[in-house]
Amino acid sequence: MSQILTGRVHETKRSVPTVRAKRGIPTRKLLTRAPVWVLIGLLLVVVLYPLLWMLLSSFKTNAEFSLQPFWALPSALHWQNYADAWTSGMSTYFLNSVLVVFPSLALILLISVAASFALEVMLWRGRNGILLIFLAGIMVPLQMVLLPLFTIYFQTGLIDTRWALILTYTAFGLPLSVFLMAGFYKAVPRAVIEAAVLDGANIYQIFYRVALPMVANGLVTIALVQFFFLWNDLLFSLTFISSDSNRTIQTGLLNFTGEHGSVDWGPTFAAISIAVIPTLLLYVVLNQKVIKGLTAGSVKG
Amino acid sequence: METMLRDRRAALLLVGPALLIYSLIVLVPVVWSLVYTLFEGNVLSGFQFVGFQNYTLLVRDPSFWQAFAFTLKYAVVVTIGQVGIGLLLSLLYVFYLGKASGLIRTLIFFPLVLPTVAVAQLFSKIFEIAPQYGLVNSLLQGVHLDGAIQPWLGQGGTAFWVIVIMDIWRAMGFYAVLLFAGLVEIPGDIIEGARVDGATGWRLVRYIVLPLMTPILFSSLIFSVNGTLKVFDSVLALTGGGPGQTTTPLTLSMFNTAFSNGQYGYGSTIATALAIMCLLVTLLIFRSARRDVA
Amino acid sequence: MSFIEEIVSERLNRRQFVKVAGGATISLAAFLAGCGSSTGGSTNSNGSAAIEFLSVQQEGTGWPLVLSTITDQYAKTHPGTTFKVNFAGQTQLYQKIQLLAGQGALPILYNSPPADLMAQLVKNGEGLDIESTFQQLGVFEELQPVAATLLKKVFNGQLVALPFELNIEGFWYNKQIFTQNSLQPPDTWDALVQIAGTLHQKGIQPFSASGTQGWPITRLVGNYLFRKLGPGALESVKSGQAKLTDAPYVEAAQAVANLGKQGYFGKGVATIAYDPAVDVFLQGKAAMFYMGSWELRDFNNPARNKIGADNIGFFPFPNVTGGTGSSTQTPMNAGQPTSMNKQKYNATVGQWLAYMAKNYGDVALQKEGAVTGFVVHNPPANLDALTSLVENQIKQVSEPVLWFEAQFSTKATNISQQDAALLATGAMSPNDFMVAVQQAF
Repeated sequence: MSQILTGRVHETKRSVPTVRAKRGIPTRKLLTRAPVWVLIGLLLVVVLYPLLWMLLSSFKTNAEFSLQPFWALPSALHWQNYADAWTSGMSTYFLNSVLVVFPSLALILLISVAASFALEVMLWRGRNGILLIFLAGIMVPLQMVLLPLFTIYFQTGLIDTRWALILTYTAFGLPLSVFLMAGFYKAVPRAVIEAAVLDGANIYQIFYRVALPMVANGLVTIALVQFFFLWNDLLFSLTFISSDSNRTIQTGLLNFTGEHGSVDWGPTFAAISIAVIPTLLLYVVLNQKVIKGLTAGSVKG
Repeated sequence: METMLRDRRAALLLVGPALLIYSLIVLVPVVWSLVYTLFEGNVLSGFQFVGFQNYTLLVRDPSFWQAFAFTLKYAVVVTIGQVGIGLLLSLLYVFYLGKASGLIRTLIFFPLVLPTVAVAQLFSKIFEIAPQYGLVNSLLQGVHLDGAIQPWLGQGGTAFWVIVIMDIWRAMGFYAVLLFAGLVEIPGDIIEGARVDGATGWRLVRYIVLPLMTPILFSSLIFSVNGTLKVFDSVLALTGGGPGQTTTPLTLSMFNTAFSNGQYGYGSTIATALAIMCLLVTLLIFRSARRDVA
Repeated sequence: MSFIEEIVSERLNRRQFVKVAGGATISLAAFLAGCGSSTGGSTNSNGSAAIEFLSVQQEGTGWPLVLSTITDQYAKTHPGTTFKVNFAGQTQLYQKIQLLAGQGALPILYNSPPADLMAQLVKNGEGLDIESTFQQLGVFEELQPVAATLLKKVFNGQLVALPFELNIEGFWYNKQIFTQNSLQPPDTWDALVQIAGTLHQKGIQPFSASGTQGWPITRLVGNYLFRKLGPGALESVKSGQAKLTDAPYVEAAQAVANLGKQGYFGKGVATIAYDPAVDVFLQGKAAMFYMGSWELRDFNNPARNKIGADNIGFFPFPNVTGGTGSSTQTPMNAGQPTSMNKQKYNATVGQWLAYMAKNYGDVALQKEGAVTGFVVHNPPANLDALTSLVENQIKQVSEPVLWFEAQFSTKATNISQQDAALLATGAMSPNDFMVAVQQAF
């Protein structure tokens, strides 16, 4: 499959038209159009109605939730819910999530891209073994390491700090990232590296100037994949963080749950709406990048 | 070039940080945890060496097997659902939607952007029965199927399906996009050639498209199985493992055993069992993948 | 978060309690307690007391409000005395206790963990013996005797906690529904079941209960046992003389399961959380509601109480025919108690403590309308009907009884409360339920 190397190496003689290019819909498909659109419509309703409902409900008061039927529109736009959500913690939770996730992502990318290069491209004894060890890490259930990690962090005074989360996220993000990255590196043709060597580059330059740019797409893929994992982490933040000021979004949302399971629904949904808007924007803007990244990285057999 | 690539010092430098962090935070705790399985108690009552007692207890423990069955059932159903529906969606995108698929893809992907706790809270409202009928029960009431109105989350059986629906609803967009990316890789002339040969619709998909998508299908399956075997957030936020222990997966069971009941050793044993399970299942898929691709 | 949410957040028997970093981590704290450096203690630089309270209630509400009011008064004669709240949500409480204890920084006042864990704290010197301390300070009579008895029962014979609350439990009922259907509060369990049957036939939900909490259902089981076998019913199980799987115990579970089987708990009991259960009763959708008197806060809140405070009546848990217990043996608890850190206790704190003990009862009643385990010296002239009712009931208590899981291990408590919903919906047989709890002992 040549898509990965589009424009960089002339391995194919002509650019191959893909399925996407064949988009003048042949007439035989016109007949099937109507039911397709019904299906699409249904799909969109199924996916979007709950979200729309949630948005509308974020304006309801608690009494409305228990007294009015489900589909009732809010009696008024209770912006107070949003104010409540923001002031009773959402601002903190959001900030904390950002402060924890992005540094972790940066570290993961940095470390895994270097490690994968050494493991996949370079030749040395034991590299397969180490690669296998990393792969095994993908399998490790988080619960297994929770107790020992808690003890370690406690002894080093890292409990209830963001560092505990950053370290944990980085460490757990490495196996999958190394794995994916190795796949990307596999696709880098040795001919290119040879050429660079002949040009007099040393190993670090080969890494930095030759290999790295070629797997840039992979970096995006990994970043996106890891982002969702980290942003939505519940277990670690639940265990390692105890004070409200350090909570992330997921544990913060649980906070809107009263201590015995009662939920302030209005502010909760308002909080969710607040949390979602930036990530949604990110997705909409990066949508194309996501596809490109996933496209490039998906074919590694 | 070979000598350059054999530069051990450089290799060490590049792989060093990864190895260091990984060992300290993943490997060491895993070993530590395994050691715990040979002990019981917690620091409160002290640790006593019990040898393999935890393992024998585990094998005889009905609540372990209940959690095991739940985890397995959940992983299989949700994987088939997520990847299956994702596949269907991706086929829809490519063959029926053309240019418009970009917007649709984005919309259907949207639920993934929400935190899992949020989705769970949303769904607990959708399937509510008291104090007000949620969406599902209201609909049933609306079409006069009042007999079907029930406490969806209050019964083990139906609660399972609610969790399944919730997780499929959430993630199908992701697999749709992933498989879509694999689909667009397929060179157009292969498709055209097959069409010329008379393969259309379902036959086209079954004999041409799917085989070409095998690598990415298997990646998706592994990805999905791995994630679903370790489900935690969705269940905790939606049912808390209840009612009783009927919707408790192994992850939650371990969590409760260790943190609620204060049994470090037994909890670590459950976690070990889970890890072995993940390993076996993934190996199984790898094996079949290799057989097919070869 | 409403006051009510906080006040009920301390229900000792909620399994959510112990969820995160429960027992294991407290133990961690105990273990590392020795390694911790002991910080200052609880005196300010000018020698006055610095009281810090690790609490599941936020400052400005509940116990913190009462304590800060008292401290302000005290500071007039002992300037510089300060009071501070260190808030920890219910699910975070044990983690915090553990962390702080491990660093030797457990505050002088902290909400108590369950009995088995509290015992460890006491062993490590971080749990103050209230009884001897109060006797030394000469304020032991400030404690209501029934409160002291209660707390000693909970904490294995030692008085290591302060009763900032004193609650009774029983059936609150909607008087209007009863009169409309010519019903009288029942004396016996059978009469209760009959009433439920009558109401159910008329399409009125007899009971409101929270299945997700679990304990509202297991309370019924426990009380049935106390009525049938006497107040020592569950202590016998703890001491091993009896087993939960013995016939009389299973009978209790069966009795409660029967209520569920007939549908007397309403549809979807297993999905109802705490607040919705309260709302169902306060909106007139259910006739009876087994609950503790801490809920008075909501009963007296007109915004929430749609049926009117004067429309709410009370009858104690009825007798069981042929049983040895009686309905004057009232289920009681002290809410979530508060313990003190012995390591931080000194004479200055003692003075504050004595003052607090003498005033807590009054201030709590004035500020919060709350009944506490401290003696009230100047009862207010007009007390609302419900609070008077509660106070009268307390006076009539011949012997307090605890609750079903009071003497259980943490694991058994969790199993009991998680499986309660299954018992109520019939998904788990009474025998299986008892077996599961007994096994977890």
